[in-house]
Amino acid sequence: MARSGDLHFHRFPQSKSVDAVRWLSPFSAFDRFAAAAVHDPDTASSALEIHSLTVDAANPKSPLLHLCSFWSSPSRISSLRSSQTSHKHLVAAAATLSGSLHLLFVDPVEGSIDSELSIADDHSLHAGPISAVDLQAGGQACVSVGEDGRVNLVTVGEARLDHQRVHDSRGLVSYMAARWASPAEFATGGLGFGVQWWDQRKPGGLVSQFKGNWARGSLTGMVHSIDIHPSRKHICVVGGSSGTVFAWDLRSQQQPILLSGVSLNGTTQPISESEVWEVQYDSYTHSSNINSTSSTRILPIMMCSEDGILAVLEQGEEPIELLAENSAINAFDVDPQNPSDVICGLEWESIGILTRSRETVARY
Amino acid sequence: MPGLASDPGDSLVPFPPDVRDPVVYPVRHGVNAPIFRVYVSWTRGNLLQVACLRPPEADPAGGEEDEVSDEEIGGKIVEVKLGAGDGEISEAQRRRIAYGSVPAFALLQSRKNSLAAMSRMSASSIRTEWWEHVLDYSHHISDLLGNPMLPSSTVIEDPETVMQPHEEPTRLKAAWQLMEIFYVDKLSLTWLPERLVDWLADYDSLLTRTETTIHSKLAGLQKRLVNLQVVEDDPEYWEVMSLALAVGWLDTVVKLLRLHGSYQLDQLGSRETENGLVEAVAVLVSTMPRMRPHLPTGRLGQCYKTKPEFIKAWEKWRGHISKLDSSAFWVQCSHRQTREGLRNLLQIMLGKVSNLTSATCHWMELFISHFLYIRPFTMGLEGFHSLSQKCMQLRPSSSSSGLMCLLIGILGENPEVVLAECSKTFGPWMVVHAMELLTADNGHADILLHEERYNLGDISIEELHRLVYAQVLSSHPLTWQIAPTYLASCPKQGLGLLEILLYKQPVQHYQMILKNLEICRLYELENISSSIMKIAGTYHWKHGRKGSGVYWLQQARDEVRLNKIAQQLFEYIGKSISDDSFKQWEGLIELLGSQVGTAGGLEFLHKYRDFKRSLQQVQDGSSVDAARQTMESLIQLMKNPSTPQRFWLPLLHDSVKLLHWKAQPLLTVSETNLLLNKLQELSMAKLCPDFCEPNLPPEALSSVRLALATNLGRAILEEC
Repeated sequence: MARSGDLHFHRFPQSKSVDAVRWLSPFSAFDRFAAAAVHDPDTASSALEIHSLTVDAANPKSPLLHLCSFWSSPSRISSLRSSQTSHKHLVAAAATLSGSLHLLFVDPVEGSIDSELSIADDHSLHAGPISAVDLQAGGQACVSVGEDGRVNLVTVGEARLDHQRVHDSRGLVSYMAARWASPAEFATGGLGFGVQWWDQRKPGGLVSQFKGNWARGSLTGMVHSIDIHPSRKHICVVGGSSGTVFAWDLRSQQQPILLSGVSLNGTTQPISESEVWEVQYDSYTHSSNINSTSSTRILPIMMCSEDGILAVLEQGEEPIELLAENSAINAFDVDPQNPSDVICGLEWESIGILTRSRETVARY
Repeated sequence: MPGLASDPGDSLVPFPPDVRDPVVYPVRHGVNAPIFRVYVSWTRGNLLQVACLRPPEADPAGGEEDEVSDEEIGGKIVEVKLGAGDGEISEAQRRRIAYGSVPAFALLQSRKNSLAAMSRMSASSIRTEWWEHVLDYSHHISDLLGNPMLPSSTVIEDPETVMQPHEEPTRLKAAWQLMEIFYVDKLSLTWLPERLVDWLADYDSLLTRTETTIHSKLAGLQKRLVNLQVVEDDPEYWEVMSLALAVGWLDTVVKLLRLHGSYQLDQLGSRETENGLVEAVAVLVSTMPRMRPHLPTGRLGQCYKTKPEFIKAWEKWRGHISKLDSSAFWVQCSHRQTREGLRNLLQIMLGKVSNLTSATCHWMELFISHFLYIRPFTMGLEGFHSLSQKCMQLRPSSSSSGLMCLLIGILGENPEVVLAECSKTFGPWMVVHAMELLTADNGHADILLHEERYNLGDISIEELHRLVYAQVLSSHPLTWQIAPTYLASCPKQGLGLLEILLYKQPVQHYQMILKNLEICRLYELENISSSIMKIAGTYHWKHGRKGSGVYWLQQARDEVRLNKIAQQLFEYIGKSISDDSFKQWEGLIELLGSQVGTAGGLEFLHKYRDFKRSLQQVQDGSSVDAARQTMESLIQLMKNPSTPQRFWLPLLHDSVKLLHWKAQPLLTVSETNLLLNKLQELSMAKLCPDFCEPNLPPEALSSVRLALATNLGRAILEEC
């Protein structure tokens, strides 16, 4: 196991289940906001909470999380993404288990929720739960996918949301993950480690698909999360069942690069054997390889898992374990502005903030 | 309102008036009287579902009555939460404690197991350090129950703040600490009385809810202190000081003494002797010898580690007190209250029983004062117990709190009582976790808790309580995931209950299923996990998510259901056979994979798709090899027993064009014979009543037969 540098981790108990967490990209360095999707089964209430993160100058190692505002959701939130808009707002897209989609516009200074646009859960968008939603950079469009096999494109209008169906497999295929690659292209993932690449400009939308054939028999699983780096749009990094993290390069489609998980020949030692709930590029960890600028090399990736692991993976390197919690880490987000900071949603009703100090950089 | 405890006659459901302390939960149903029926049933956890119904309308609603019925609802179901706790610890806090104690508990169990394995090899030496592990565990749990008291570390101290404001102590933590002191912490055995002094300093406010304690008196004085002009004239000032001294809060006493008026600069001249006496007492108080290795910061006294050293210092100190008590300066002290107050303090320090008794409120406080000033060497639980009995007689308490019952149980060496009090006052969490303390180094309790009992269904008391706690955990959707940790430590019933728990979890959302399966994986419950996957598969299939359904059934390797599903799917596909809509099945077929055996009858779909695809290629361009290959896969399909009969004719019909291949016959004689046999079988099957006619032109059969016959002829010629 590689060294993980100097880490500070703070847990903020929430007294309700934390289902998803996202940083809201701030406009100034002073206001840092994070959105958390919470659910309280005792009162059967769900909400999106906007927290502000403040760091006391006297005690920089113990940040404070303060609830600024919240929005009651009609149903439990299953997926959450955030972005900036051109209208000087932070926007969060929340999809629910009942199939509704909500866009919340957050004031970048106050952290208050100014307005909301939504599509109701009347089965027009999805029949049943939405499993994933992704918001385009700029917050102009959303893609939503569900277990019902629909792929929807939602465009954000002046005062309303419009949606069109890109594809409907009528339940024959289920999708669990979605991620934009460019304003026209996005990737989805689902059962059997399947990944699909869609291009809105092409008729039918589906351009190519990858099936997790290398994982045979019981080793197949679901895709839970996809990330695509803005500078390497041809590579999808995918996290899924049995500790599997792999990269799918559109240019060599049938040969995925296994970054973690059990491969056929069993050479790779997985850092985790349980569900990898989320993967994201970690721009904080600098690649140790000088040649990493080559476009075939996979940049460092952060992943979180059901058995409480938060780790950074790199092609051909030992994984760096950042956290080994007693409870599952269901979600995390690397702060795009301050990539040293990571927010996590922990199974045991708490939000965690991980700060990595500068010494870690000096190592390289 | 009906149902008030004060008048049981008026309630909806009568209850005997002699029930002691009935707990009344108001049900805000908002249904107008008369109420016709009340149904009560349990739901999740400690929620009670109460349905209140009005009598059905005799006359079905007319136009006008419709409006009335809008207002007057026919009934309502409300949820009533029982036992919402004593308010000291919220439900969320309780869950936080439950989460936090899991790692400590699991670690202790694994240590116990590995020690048990080791002890088979080497017998005794391990037992000696076991309590250290338990102490680790106890400290961990103790930290969870509340933050440690803040030491008075502020640089600028307000001289009038005699009480350090700190977080409200909880009974739960007080009880835990008490058990730790008596059952686990072997390090402090030699200074047990002093540990109790510390305990009381932290938790005096919790001794009783109704009666006064030294803490409440001190709090009362603290409030008044700001407004008092001349403190030494106030009898309460002296009283509180004697109270605080009696239980050893030396820092408080010294602080209070320093508030004495004689310290003020303008009075120093005229009250020199008086001030000297006050200061002398303050010095004596702050130099009291304590039989303990160290003191927390801010606390006063001088520590002595060994008994001889302590006795020497103790005698010397008492000598100083006696000397001061009999000094001539008292006569010169003109202020009566000061004189009497200070001498009272001296008597307390000399351990005069009557002064101690009047300087304490609760028997526990008297108990502590005895340790401090009369019997600092009290050892052994027997000594503690007899002393506590004596103190209880001197200061009888009308109400007994759970905390005190627990202490009496501990002192009386009565593990049954301790357990019962833990359970009654603090609930199942406390019992399960405190049992580890109880058995840390106590053979009697160990036997009591681990003995298998016939009347409990051959399980031990320890297992029983763990099962109960696991039930509590599994009744809440947020804590059920930690119940397995406790069930795993139950040797007899644990696994069975775990299986039931896992079966009971909802399968609507795949994340939940996966979390459930993860627990199965951790505890190696393969058959449970495959059952869960079957349940999930069936659920999703029924709800129209065919892909998910097939996926889960495939994961569970459920051949039977997959075959059934295959039959249903073929119905659909059979209809849309030569259609473009077959394309939408692509995704599902991809999921099925190409290998044999994982998809049951569904593997046919994969082969069928491959056949269709190659047929398409042959039609687009025509190389002999491709055509030959297509025919081979046709033969494979026809040979395969999993190919449903109803697909035979469509398959053959699709390949008629290839049978007429111009360049050469693509099938050998034997292959053609095989297909002809199949065709014959099909004609026979047509006579069966449940034969389903494929959606093909009526001449399909004859055209296939003709093509096969032609091909047979050509093949025979070819082979000659």
